[in-house]
Amino acid sequence: MRTIEPNPSYALGFLTVLDCADCGLIGGYLVLNRTGRPLEFHCTVPIKPNRAQQILYGPTLEPYLFGEQIGQALLAKGAVEPEVICTDRPAALAVREFVEIPVALVLSGGIIEAPVDGAYLANACPTPAEGVVHRLDAPHGLGPHHLAFRLGRNHLAVSPLAAGDRELIANRLGELADTFDLAEPFERIRAAIEEARRGGGGQ
Amino acid sequence: MANDEPVTKLEARRSGPIAPFRALSFEIPSTFIIRHSSFLPPPPPAVVTLDPTLRVSPLATGWHRAIHRPIEIPVQTTPIDQHACRVISVGIGRPEIAARSFRFAEPEAGALKTSEVSKTSEDCLAMKAHGLQPVGFESTKTSGAGRSIAGQIRIRPPDDVVKLDDRLRYVLQPSLESLLSSRSLGFPLRPFPYQLEGVAFLYPRQAAILADEMGLGKTMQAITAVRLLLHGGEIRSVLLICPKPLVSNWRREFSQWAPEIPVMVIEGAPARRRWQWQLPSVPVRIANYELLHRDGELLDACAANGTPCARFDLVVLDEAQRIKNASSITNQAVRAIPRDRSWALTGTPVENGPQDLVGIFEFLAPGFLSPDVKPGRIGRTIRDYVLRRTKERVLADLPPRLFCDAELDLTPQQRETYELARDEGVLRLTEMGQSATIRHVFELVLRLKQICNFDPATGASAKLERLEADLEEVVQSGRKAIVFSQWVQTLQRLSGVLRRFRPLEYHGRIPAGRREAVVRRFREDPSHPLLLISYGAGGVGLNLQAAGYVFLFDRWWNPAVEDQAIHRAHRIGVAGPVTVVRFLMLDTIEERIDRILQQKRDLRDTIFSGVDGPRRLGLTQEELFGLFDLRGPGGSANLAA
Repeated sequence: MRTIEPNPSYALGFLTVLDCADCGLIGGYLVLNRTGRPLEFHCTVPIKPNRAQQILYGPTLEPYLFGEQIGQALLAKGAVEPEVICTDRPAALAVREFVEIPVALVLSGGIIEAPVDGAYLANACPTPAEGVVHRLDAPHGLGPHHLAFRLGRNHLAVSPLAAGDRELIANRLGELADTFDLAEPFERIRAAIEEARRGGGGQ
Repeated sequence: MANDEPVTKLEARRSGPIAPFRALSFEIPSTFIIRHSSFLPPPPPAVVTLDPTLRVSPLATGWHRAIHRPIEIPVQTTPIDQHACRVISVGIGRPEIAARSFRFAEPEAGALKTSEVSKTSEDCLAMKAHGLQPVGFESTKTSGAGRSIAGQIRIRPPDDVVKLDDRLRYVLQPSLESLLSSRSLGFPLRPFPYQLEGVAFLYPRQAAILADEMGLGKTMQAITAVRLLLHGGEIRSVLLICPKPLVSNWRREFSQWAPEIPVMVIEGAPARRRWQWQLPSVPVRIANYELLHRDGELLDACAANGTPCARFDLVVLDEAQRIKNASSITNQAVRAIPRDRSWALTGTPVENGPQDLVGIFEFLAPGFLSPDVKPGRIGRTIRDYVLRRTKERVLADLPPRLFCDAELDLTPQQRETYELARDEGVLRLTEMGQSATIRHVFELVLRLKQICNFDPATGASAKLERLEADLEEVVQSGRKAIVFSQWVQTLQRLSGVLRRFRPLEYHGRIPAGRREAVVRRFREDPSHPLLLISYGAGGVGLNLQAAGYVFLFDRWWNPAVEDQAIHRAHRIGVAGPVTVVRFLMLDTIEERIDRILQQKRDLRDTIFSGVDGPRRLGLTQEELFGLFDLRGPGGSANLAA
């Protein structure tokens, strides 16, 4: 697991993946300061899983690509360690296994209908036995269910494998949760990716 | 059996075995009816018993034993040779994720020390001390072609920003509402959405013209954009240049919209001005056009010595049409100021012709706009540099302007004087022939216009008669009125005649120090319902929303100047509709000038609509001479604005 040097500046990270119909998946990672001004922006080149991956990964393909591959690659590029990483793609929550930073799924903004606080997004299912963690997916009848909660003006959720992130996120966001619309930066990332596709350059 | 008894075959079967497949039939001889004409009871029916038993005997096939025999399943066992099994591995592969990175330096603390962003109680108290409220920006609707996402106004990179890093820097900025909120920038009044769009337009631009119609708040938009740039540390020094009468207006607007920004007005004796120019750490300096001429050498010296006035991050020109003449001293003076960004504010970017824009662009981006560009193409060429909105487009709920053209006939005395003067003037011009110049024509035009106002001998005036009648009605209804004229003498004459309305005067002969008081009294004192203003002194920068009526006693050459005059009253904050009365003397020079003014309005609309417009632009020398049906010497001439 990669360890990022701690940085005294307060920063928030926003991770998303765009589905481009003709070019594949493009990941975008934006780091903002406390006032919402951009510090860093990283985006991947378009990625297309090959046929073997599509078949063999099956329903685990998205968490693998979004979290393990794209998420890790983008976070590794970051020079500033954010306090919290936000994502609007449920599959990207899988990146939590590879970083020490709490990851929140942003539910507000119309991407995913915000549920009642404390509700599970998927059908209720028994929690895994203690000491044993199984990675199962929805088609097998046991799916990853996210723990949703409300924080200030935002509706968030965390992975059930990192339930403690809820408190961490609340502490680290603090007053910002009341004023900062955590869904808004994703629009900027989408616009920036579109701009980057039209232009060129960067590092 | 007797022959005459009915015979049935059934009876026959009684006596013998039943043939089961024979059909039953009955024969009734025809003699039966004849011989037995009387009814005889039938014989009782006989009961026949049939045996339905079906005797079946199975056919022996020999299968019965086979049914009970068990199924025999042959099984053949073939041993598998493990050494022959091949394992084929399918490489899933780990995709190599290449990424591009962009890093943006956090802006330094600018000329203004900004604290950590938080809406603490101290921040709110500080804002309230300045009379500002921390206006919250919820999702705002944008009017017109707003660049908004989900109701938020975004700062978009201008077209001349080509480097991807620079473009992303703008694209990744938070919305304007977030920027303002995060900086805890309060406003005394909530800005309109189109005004925020104007701020978003100015913010990223190195060169820009904000050409909103008068009264839409160009001042506020420019101040807010400057404020954001200063707070963000993107600029440190701003020079604002405006006409001298507007200096105090700008100082007042800064104190209202950006009270935390230190502003210095360059004025006073030369030694004082030298010190003001060289003073460091002054974010905003305000100077007037006239002063720029005098201090040109001083600014050159600053450049040589490397003092703070050597270079400005931003120079803003108010009433930028002042530099429309590219060869004028004013234009050269502003172009000589070392600067990074250049903004121009003007409600009348085109007064006489497309060459006006060329003059302004020589300040913004020298060489960008050629004088030979056709009016229809100018719009497309300058589109990314110019933002213009009209009241009808952005303020649908602003009360309307009601135009009332008062077409009057000269009084008999005026008519006689007018025709005499016209005939004499035309005769003189004819006699002068080729030696007649524009100046001679102007003199005749002005003389005739003055006669349209008042007969010089008797003082008779059809306009005055109409004005008095209208003012009686206005004052009785409790409203206020403004009367514009291009001559101070006319205003002073009106002041005497209209004494009973207690008129106030605002023109060049009123000392500058008293003018603010005049405006304040007109706004606040109900006993002064009438203000007499000259076009020159009162055409720009005044807020006179208190007036519900505007009278144009005599017309100006330039429709833009007239519009400016009207917009003193018809602007944001006006309580109701504004009625504009334009006096026009029929069958006089005024009627001809009115036609030309209408052509100029069409020209302005053409340039900003992007379509080809009328060929004849501006007022040529032939047209001037044509006012008197004379043939001019040829060439073109600019009409005095």
